Amino acid sequence: MYSAHVNTRISNVLIMDRRKFIKNSALASSLFFVPNFVKTFETVASERLGYKRLVIVQLAGGNDGLNTIIPHNNDLYYNARPRLAISKDLIKLTDDLGFHPSLSPLRPLFDNGELSIINNVGYPNPVRSHFRSMDIWQTASGSDEYLQSGWIGRYLDQYGKQPYNAMEMDEQLSLAMKGEHLNGIATNDYKVLYNTAKDPYFKNVINHYNDAHLSEHNLGYLYQTMIEAKSSANYIFENTKVKPSHKIYPQNKFAKQLKNVAQFINSGLDTKVFYTSLSGFDTHANQINKQARLLTHYSESVSAFVQDLKQNDTFKDTLILTFSEFGRRVKQNAANGTDHGSANNVFVIGKNLKTAGFYNKLASLSDLDANGDLKYSIDFRSVYATILSQWMEVSAEGIIPNQQKLLDFI
Amino acid sequence: MTQQELQHLYWRAGFGINPNRQTSMPKNRAQVVEDLFVDSQAYTPIDIDLSYLHGIKPIDLKTFPELAEEIRKKGVKKILELNGAWVKRLMNPNELLRERMTLLWANHFVCRERNPLYVQQYNNTLRYFALGDFKAFVKAISKEAAMLRYLNGKQNRKNRPNENFARELMELFTLGEGEYSEKDIKESARAFTGYSHDFEGNFIFRKLQHDYESKLFFNRIGKHDGDDIIDIILAEKQCAQFISDKIYRYFVNPKPNKKHIDAMTEVFFKDYNIENLMRFVFLSDWFYDEENIGTKIKSPIDYVVGMAKTVPVTFEKEKDLLKIQKLLGQTLLDPPNVAGWKGDKAWIDANTIMIRLKLPSVVLNSGFIAFDEKDEFRKQFFKNTKRKRPFKTVPKWDVFEEHFKLTKTEQLQDHIIQGKINKGTLDYLKILNKSSKQAYCIQLMSIPEYQMC
Repeated sequence: MYSAHVNTRISNVLIMDRRKFIKNSALASSLFFVPNFVKTFETVASERLGYKRLVIVQLAGGNDGLNTIIPHNNDLYYNARPRLAISKDLIKLTDDLGFHPSLSPLRPLFDNGELSIINNVGYPNPVRSHFRSMDIWQTASGSDEYLQSGWIGRYLDQYGKQPYNAMEMDEQLSLAMKGEHLNGIATNDYKVLYNTAKDPYFKNVINHYNDAHLSEHNLGYLYQTMIEAKSSANYIFENTKVKPSHKIYPQNKFAKQLKNVAQFINSGLDTKVFYTSLSGFDTHANQINKQARLLTHYSESVSAFVQDLKQNDTFKDTLILTFSEFGRRVKQNAANGTDHGSANNVFVIGKNLKTAGFYNKLASLSDLDANGDLKYSIDFRSVYATILSQWMEVSAEGIIPNQQKLLDFI
Repeated sequence: MTQQELQHLYWRAGFGINPNRQTSMPKNRAQVVEDLFVDSQAYTPIDIDLSYLHGIKPIDLKTFPELAEEIRKKGVKKILELNGAWVKRLMNPNELLRERMTLLWANHFVCRERNPLYVQQYNNTLRYFALGDFKAFVKAISKEAAMLRYLNGKQNRKNRPNENFARELMELFTLGEGEYSEKDIKESARAFTGYSHDFEGNFIFRKLQHDYESKLFFNRIGKHDGDDIIDIILAEKQCAQFISDKIYRYFVNPKPNKKHIDAMTEVFFKDYNIENLMRFVFLSDWFYDEENIGTKIKSPIDYVVGMAKTVPVTFEKEKDLLKIQKLLGQTLLDPPNVAGWKGDKAWIDANTIMIRLKLPSVVLNSGFIAFDEKDEFRKQFFKNTKRKRPFKTVPKWDVFEEHFKLTKTEQLQDHIIQGKINKGTLDYLKILNKSSKQAYCIQLMSIPEYQMC
């Protein structure tokens, strides 16, 4: 009884604030509903947000890291993969490691010290289910806990003000982008969103809406999302410069996502995080051609994107993080593919990296876990924590559960 | 049964019910529920024209790469045709509850496949077992060509097991995560070795590739095959619990209620008969509790099919129906991953909410929600979209008028909206001009409450 009472009081505070917001929204559409207790953070937040931007690239399906960064000098690799090991055309980067041939467009970045490759990134007791492991990566949870919000979402909770502070280049919003109080926005086509939100009928509905009992319910969530959508749609539309980029991107969906990101970044939008995704890496069978095609899409698109940013002098303020939910088993399977594994490499691309090239050595191919997978040596959450504190210049506390050791790549 | 209870039942077991139909319904709950099952006893498979595959042999595809490419391209189109056939089936079902269950199972035994023959066969298997014996259902799924391809059962061979199917069988199809060990996965994968299918999609058991050695699974040693593994899994009460929980969240309330789910588990564990479980749910008093009415967020398919139930509509371009599914985040036959669509709040973000709010007016009235809005917006709307409407549709308002003949315009909201309307929004609805029933219908469909069922 007592706690229910307290809840009512808290929601009363929210209601008043929301009413105020609704009144104001007719005048200043960019204003956004924020509870008072969050508002106190705002002054701090705006000072801290700065211009630094993070672009996340998710390789969905579990990219085979061992055939991406290849241990070309290791017999164990060739023995485990008699029909999958890559030796032809591989691009040697060091005495031990080299690129998959499809990564050749990234070679200049590697040579310029604008790419850092972190090997053996993972987490304790790895889960080999796609959606669960993806949830773990997106929520920054351990494998034994379930979090309902994503790490970027929690960053928004603390330091964001508007959904457009984090944008996903897709029709749907990933869990990574959903906070406890604030969600990012998915913008596959921001013009459509803008045209829809403009209807005067919606303005009337929003103006009449009052939130007496609904803030915790599904219906309250619908109204809240509607209000956020309207203000974000306006902002993105009004601030995006339509001037097309001169840089020619390859013709594929992923390239189009990065092209849109470049357009937003070069327009100076107040968006700190962009989320992109390339899927199809679940190569249980006939891996060779599939992975080569996907890695080509990835490397050509990223290369065009970086050049586009460089031409607009925005590369220096942009960091690109590439990850996959897991790597794949060291030993190939019978179908010329690989099964779900665990630890994998992570790419960090940016100017002024502290440790460019290879951040650490590849884990042993003889000392594998019970499933025959690579053992992790770096927790993915310490990669996140490092990016938050060293790049975004905010504390990882409250965003990444448990204190993480900071790394030295930026 | 009250009007609200009847609508609640029909929104969960189907996609809503129109007022003219309600008047001819029996008054007692038991009879209404029983009719649902009687009406779904028949089984009508989806059957699109796949004759272009007749007479083609696997060897032909190897010998003639051009033919293979043509078949592949044709297949892509046929999948879209299947999608359209399924959506139309949902809009005009013969066996309403069976179709509703088929939709649920498609997001339980999630599968994605490119060969339209295997896709159609898989979809019809879901439909066939939708209200039947769950044990036979799981066994049939394990032998489906589409599933053997999707989760690599085909590549699962003696001495070279592929664990993909074994893992998802337990994690997603029967027990839930954490209810088994990694060892159980490895052992059961061996039991499913040798499963394969022929070119036409029939199941084949390849004895030479089957591992006949003993397996230790859930503490039982034996020379288990795949069916044995499924029997052992279903002997666990956890399986009945896992499915009951899923059915409860889907049909009753996204917030689980342990007491009710436990009661369902007892019913289901007895014989794993899906129909008996569903009958128990629909006859339970708690199913009709106020807290369960209008608390679900409609899936995109619920939303689109429900709208067409109220105002039947034809799309001039088949592809537009597909485009709407994509925009709303649920394209039938194209799930995001093996876990399927998450549902509930995950359907809604800034993009999808705006599309949902705008779509009824776009589909039914050239993009205008309020009939009496100033012309200024009308002009601007056309200027911005350059050309006409995004979708060319023909709404059948005459059918709507027939459905709602006996319903006064002021009562329309009790039929179009499930659950409570926000007080402020209700005030706004009161002041709207109600001279046109059609206009008011569109306005009701354009408030957030319409997203609930």
